[in-house]
Amino acid sequence: MTVHDKRLAGSHDDILEAIAAALDIPPGKFEEARQRYEALGGWLDRPESTLADLDPAISPHGSFLLGTVTRPLTDADEYDVDLVCRVNGSKAALTQKQLKDAVGHEVALYARARNMAHPEERRRCWTLNYAEGAQFHMDVLPALPDAQRYQAQLRAKGFGILAADGDLSGHAIAITDNQRSDYAVISDDWLQSNPYGYAAWFRSRMRVRLTEAKRSFAERERISASVGEIPDYKVRTPLQQAIQLLKRHRDCMFAEDGEHKPISIIITTLAAHAYNEEASLSAALQSILMNMDRYIEERDGIAWVSNPVNPAENFADKWPEEPCKRDNFFRWLAQARQDFAQYLRASPYDTIPDELERRLGPALVKRALNSVMPDDGAIGAPALLLGGGHDAELERARHAVDAIQSSGSQSRPWVR
Amino acid sequence: MLTLLEVQAAIAFEQPGLRATEIDGKIVVEGTFVVTAGSAVCDPAGPLARYAVRIELTHAYPRIEPRVFETGGRIKRDPDHHINGDGDCCVTVWENWLATAADTGIAAYLGGPLREYFLGQFWFEKTGSWPFGERAHGMEGMEEAYADALGIANRRKDILYYLRILRLPRPRGHWPCPCGSTRRLRDCHDTDLWSMHHRIPPHLARAMLVRLQPRKGELFKAGF
Repeated sequence: MTVHDKRLAGSHDDILEAIAAALDIPPGKFEEARQRYEALGGWLDRPESTLADLDPAISPHGSFLLGTVTRPLTDADEYDVDLVCRVNGSKAALTQKQLKDAVGHEVALYARARNMAHPEERRRCWTLNYAEGAQFHMDVLPALPDAQRYQAQLRAKGFGILAADGDLSGHAIAITDNQRSDYAVISDDWLQSNPYGYAAWFRSRMRVRLTEAKRSFAERERISASVGEIPDYKVRTPLQQAIQLLKRHRDCMFAEDGEHKPISIIITTLAAHAYNEEASLSAALQSILMNMDRYIEERDGIAWVSNPVNPAENFADKWPEEPCKRDNFFRWLAQARQDFAQYLRASPYDTIPDELERRLGPALVKRALNSVMPDDGAIGAPALLLGGGHDAELERARHAVDAIQSSGSQSRPWVR
Repeated sequence: MLTLLEVQAAIAFEQPGLRATEIDGKIVVEGTFVVTAGSAVCDPAGPLARYAVRIELTHAYPRIEPRVFETGGRIKRDPDHHINGDGDCCVTVWENWLATAADTGIAAYLGGPLREYFLGQFWFEKTGSWPFGERAHGMEGMEEAYADALGIANRRKDILYYLRILRLPRPRGHWPCPCGSTRRLRDCHDTDLWSMHHRIPPHLARAMLVRLQPRKGELFKAGF
């Protein structure tokens, strides 16, 4: 690639966006994953499928649905594609075990038909591993629709407004858990989950920027589709990019202690709360890093990160029994503030501080910089493009002075 | 009462080169103060300048003025640079800022007078002039700043009388109006004095009076 082929960076935002793009799942990989889960969906719904009469449907949830997927830390690690396999069954007719086994049976047949390894059973899902080159695996979560019970419980707990909102609570599901005592008996009391309600809430936190990003995408690609026709996964908003960067920073910081690292759902939820539709990634990061901890409540002395679509659920429920998880969250937040602020507030755009580079991964940062910097522009080079020197500095200072003078808030030095 | 947490929150993103700790009941902030060119999150060229500093705060902030020391030796130690020999920075006349600023929190101080002071130092370094002007040294500069805060002419006698009125919980209506009309305050500039009283509350007026060090009898002669 020559310098003429590149869209060269000229700001901190350009650099951070390039890093976020390097973190994202590559479009080809995304498409491959999408084709594979759609193929799995087609398999589950084929006429011979034992689930066919239950109208099975496969769809992504988690970071794949939210658009906050981040590249695994090493090439040996895999993307984790979370899928819901929703069947139109009833808890009155199926036990959790029957549903889990039925889905597992079909997933196993699918794996055998494609010469893949037998799916592994997890507590709540089946894990389908692809060949090494695929670099992803799929966690298939068997589920039944359970919105009515979910909404009834919300109402009973005083969250009537949420219960009345079809987008936020009308797609809740019941899921299986093989550790529960009622796993193999007919019961109405299944674990519940609401990944689509959560995704609707998440989208609502960036509605303006999502629409704007789709409009820009349509213009850039010269397509005539309306904004509503462009799928969410085609674009990224500052909120999504900020979450990708923060998750990566977390992953690098806790590379040696993955078990106790701050969990993605806490980072995602707090970041989405703190985001105020900022138009740029730098402004989004500032807003999120400075305000995200304000959304940690305290209920009866317990730290509480509410599930926004089920406030009775605490995403930080492990913190009381494992205080190091709480400590790690705040340690990570302080470090992330420090690292990103050192870059945004105290460095020129073309100089990534060592600490931030280390906590985003030097190889990834280098790759991102190569994509947006002139080929000779090594990391840490002086800001040649900015036209440095005495006059430029003075001109910048003059703007700063003018801004202060026009705001009227000025103080004058004296001598005591 | 200012807490360490508040200080840490104020510097967390805005001044990433600073660290705050609590030492012997004082909050000490040390490190590199960056002077940014604008209020935006980031400037492509980075900060304009950096100064090594030590800021000493008490829990009684803003009642007690912070002490700021430039520790890197970038600023020449002489009064014309508005710095004392030990690096003690004469940032601004404190009570003037308290009386005129809408927000006197620690974040507002760091982003207001302190940024302006170091931006001024940078500008002086480059041009030999002060971008926002400068106060006369010592008592003269203080009187000038207090007169500005009060919005009156810079006459010591008048400043003292206004502050004497303002230091009370409520302006005394039967006292002579400070405008010099010889009428009683309640019959003259009563409304203006109440508005001034709101801007410069009694505790601030008392602090200003103390710093003006009125000579024996000077205070009582003022205005009469």
